[in-house]
Amino acid sequence: MKRQAKRGIAQRLGRGALAGVLLFGCPALWAQQGAPGNPGAAAAPPSAQDQAPYDPTGYWVSLITQNWRFRMVAKGPGDYIGAPINAQAKKLADAWTQAQAQAAARDCEAYGGAIIMWLPEHLHISWQDANDLRVQTDAGMQTRVLHFVSAPEGTRAAAAAPRDIQPSRQGYSLARWVLAAGSQRGGRGAGAGAGMPRYGSLEVTTDHMLPGLLAKNGIPYDGNTKKTEWWDLRKDSSGEQWLSISTTVVDPEYLTRPYIYDPVFQKEDDGAKWDPSPCSPL
Amino acid sequence: MKRHPVGLVVLVCASMLYTGAVLAQVDLSGTWALASDTIDAGTGRVADDFAGIPLNAQGRAAGLAWTADEQQELHRQCEPWGPDYIITGLWGGRFTAVRDRFGTVHGWNVTISVYDRLPMVIWTDGREPPSPEALHTYSGFTSGKWQGDTLVTLTTHLKDDFLERNGTPSSNQETFEMFMSPHGDQMAITGVVRDPVYLASPWVIAGTLARRVDTGGAVNNSVLYCMPAELQAVSDGYHAGGELPNQIKTLEMYQTERYNIPLDAALGGPATQYPEFRQHMLQEGYKPPTTYCKIVCCDFTSRVCRNPQ
Repeated sequence: MKRQAKRGIAQRLGRGALAGVLLFGCPALWAQQGAPGNPGAAAAPPSAQDQAPYDPTGYWVSLITQNWRFRMVAKGPGDYIGAPINAQAKKLADAWTQAQAQAAARDCEAYGGAIIMWLPEHLHISWQDANDLRVQTDAGMQTRVLHFVSAPEGTRAAAAAPRDIQPSRQGYSLARWVLAAGSQRGGRGAGAGAGMPRYGSLEVTTDHMLPGLLAKNGIPYDGNTKKTEWWDLRKDSSGEQWLSISTTVVDPEYLTRPYIYDPVFQKEDDGAKWDPSPCSPL
Repeated sequence: MKRHPVGLVVLVCASMLYTGAVLAQVDLSGTWALASDTIDAGTGRVADDFAGIPLNAQGRAAGLAWTADEQQELHRQCEPWGPDYIITGLWGGRFTAVRDRFGTVHGWNVTISVYDRLPMVIWTDGREPPSPEALHTYSGFTSGKWQGDTLVTLTTHLKDDFLERNGTPSSNQETFEMFMSPHGDQMAITGVVRDPVYLASPWVIAGTLARRVDTGGAVNNSVLYCMPAELQAVSDGYHAGGELPNQIKTLEMYQTERYNIPLDAALGGPATQYPEFRQHMLQEGYKPPTTYCKIVCCDFTSRVCRNPQ
C-alpha cells in the first residue's frame, strides 16, 4: 500500500512537472498568454511595427548580380528572354515602339508594381504609421505602401482587402508577418520572448495594378496581374544585411506560367546615394 | 531496478527548455526544382561576360583566359559544379534527412538528378569542420544551423572550380553561405559567395526553388553518371586556358553586334553590380539595339516564342 501511495505521488509529481514544463518551458506557448505578471489584462493587439521580427527600415541598394542584361539596360526589339510570355504578349511587344511610348508619356509603365523591385534602384523604407510600411524607390520615384492585416496563419491576407480599391501603378499591397515558432509576442519588449532572437518573414500580396510593362522593350502585363513576395532578412556573422525578396508574378493574360524573380538589396548606412530620378525609357 | 518517473520528467524538462530551437526545425524533405526565371541559369552567360560579378583582377584574367574547349579536355569532362550551383544551375535538389537510429536529424542530404553537382550533406548537429588542411572536394564541407525557419549554411573545403558556366573562376579558398527559407511549396535561397583569390567583394545571389511531385527530367533523381571519362585528379591552383587576356574579340562582337553593352560592363567587378553603373553607361551614351533580335531572344522553355533565324 505504502509503495503504491509513493508511486501515485511520484506519478502525480511527474505529471505536474510535465505540465509545468509544457506551460513554462515552451516560448511558443508563453507568447500566447499575454504579459506575465498581468495575466488578466486584455492587451491591445500588437501593431505590425511592434510585431516586426526584423527592422526593414532604412536605405537599401539593389544588387544586380544576376540577369544583368535583363535588368540593367533597356533591351532591343524582339529580345524577350527571361520572361515566360505567351503568343499574345509577343504580338503586342513586337508592335510596341519606344517612340510611341515616349510620345504618350508612358515611360513609367515599366516602373509598375509587377516589376518595380527588380529594377536597379535604391529603396527608402519607413513606417508611415504603425501598420503601414512605405517603400520608396529613387528609380522612377515610385511609392508603395504595404498595408498590414491580422490574417490568421494559413489564410490569405488578401481576404482583408477593402473592396473599393482603384487600380494604381503600384497597386494595393497587403502584408503580414509570418513569425517562426517561438517568435510571437504581445508587443515590443513584452512577453516571455523578450530578449530572445526573433525570426520571421514578410509576406506581401499585391493586386489592383494598372497594366504595365515587364521590360522597357514592350513586354506587357495585364491589370489582373497578382504578385506575391516573401521578404527575408539575411544577416551574416560580419553584420552585413541583405533583404532578399522571392517574387512570383501571375498574369493569366500574358504569361504562360508564373514569372519568378529574386531581387536582393544590400543595407546602406544612410541615404547618401539616394538619387531620385524620373522614369527613363532606357 | 525500476526507473523513477521524476527522472524521466526532468529529462523531458531539460529537453523542453530548448523547445524554441526544436520547433524551429523545418522539414525540408522533398524534391525542389529551380523555379526562378533566370537567364544565367537557363541560357547561361556567354564566354567573357562577367557583368555583375565582383571579380578582382586575378579573377578577370582567369575568366578571360578560359575557353569552352577546356570542357573537352579528358580530365575535365566529368568535373562537377560546386554547391553554389543549386542557385546558379537549373536543377535544384532532393532533400532527405540524415537520421540516426533514434530518428534524430543530424543533417540534410542534398542530391541532384543529373551529373552536374555532387551530393552534399548539410550537417546541423553542430559538428566541427575538418582542419583547414583536410581534403578539399567539389562538395566541400557544409554545416548548418536554424535561425527560426531559415536554415543558414556555410560551405568550406572546396576545390578550384567555376561559379558560372562561362569560366567564371572560383578557388579552393571559396566559402559559400546560404540562407534557405521555405515558404509553403516554395523555398527562397540567398547565397553569399566569398573568394579572396578571385573576388573583390561578396557575390550575393538568390533563387526560388519550388516543390515538385512530378517525375520530369529535372527532378526524377535518376542519377546520370558521367560517361565520357572518369573524373581524374585536377590539381588546385590553376585556371589555365588557351586564350590570352587580350583575345576577347568574341566578347566584343557579342556586346556590340547584339546588345550594345560596353566592354567595361562585361568585364565585371564590384562597381558593375550597383545602380550607379547604369548611370555611368547612360552617360557614356548607351542605346539599346535597333535591329530585331536574331539569336537567343526568348526563354529557353518558351513554346510560343522561337528564335527567328
